Amino acid sequence: MKILTKADIWLIMFLLLFAFAGIGLGLSRLATSGSGTLSAQISLGGKIVQTVPLREGYRQEIQVKNGDHYNTIEINNGKVHIREADCPDQICVRSGWISVATQQIVCLPNRVVIKIMATDSDLDGIAR
Amino acid sequence: MNIRRMVLLALFVAVASVLHVVEAWLPLPFPVPGIKLGLANVVSLLAIGFYGWRAAIMVAVLRVMIGSLFGGTLFGPAFAMSMGGALFSTMGMGYMYQYHRPAFSVVGVSIIGAVIHNAAQIVIAALLVVSAGLLWYLPYLILFAVLSGAGTGFTAAYILAKMPRHFMDQSVDMERS
Repeated sequence: MKILTKADIWLIMFLLLFAFAGIGLGLSRLATSGSGTLSAQISLGGKIVQTVPLREGYRQEIQVKNGDHYNTIEINNGKVHIREADCPDQICVRSGWISVATQQIVCLPNRVVIKIMATDSDLDGIAR
Repeated sequence: MNIRRMVLLALFVAVASVLHVVEAWLPLPFPVPGIKLGLANVVSLLAIGFYGWRAAIMVAVLRVMIGSLFGGTLFGPAFAMSMGGALFSTMGMGYMYQYHRPAFSVVGVSIIGAVIHNAAQIVIAALLVVSAGLLWYLPYLILFAVLSGAGTGFTAAYILAKMPRHFMDQSVDMERS
């Protein structure tokens, strides 16, 4: 049985480097994200269905329907999660709560995307 | 008509279809959209090794059709992702296997296939939900693909080394004559 060649090892190192750089970039983007008023943007197949404010003490439940399929989204105290969905993989439900700008929950089978947006005023955005 | 080749390729399609369906049942600990073990890539690699990339693409296409039919995802978003991922990764692996193999081992070829598979899937997913934000999952998918690709690569390398050559090669000779 053959073992790894030199080219294999370079390939693996390059891919790992790329992956960790990407993960680092994503995390730094998360850490420096806007801390102004947050809102959850819910879209279905690329169309924005609803934008819900995220703040302490605000609670809402939204059901997004795509044909026969549904995702039940719960917004509670500045956090969002998908409580229930009829998608086969349940990845969206298992993603758990998100509460920081740039975080997202995706349900591919139902084409639902929830993104947290920092809705700072433009001045704040520039200052940052 | 080469019956041996046809039967063995049909067997490859059957094995790959089962792996495709079973894979969807296995829960992965990371809730990342588009993440897959890529067990059926073992069969794609074997098809490339024994019968060349053309046969492998045929096996991959049939596998996705049959696997999606049994999995109940035919022509849904998951189907488009599986098909795109399978096509691009099989083409990439076929190319690497044919032209860059002394340099890259079967494991290297498999890792490239796994990375292409996951990358193609997340790009198709991003198009489906019209959100470029999905590409932020790509580094996680690549990290996972290096591990899963190495696993499937070692499996395929082991089978390619141990499988009695003449069993498959005979059919290639018959085809040429």
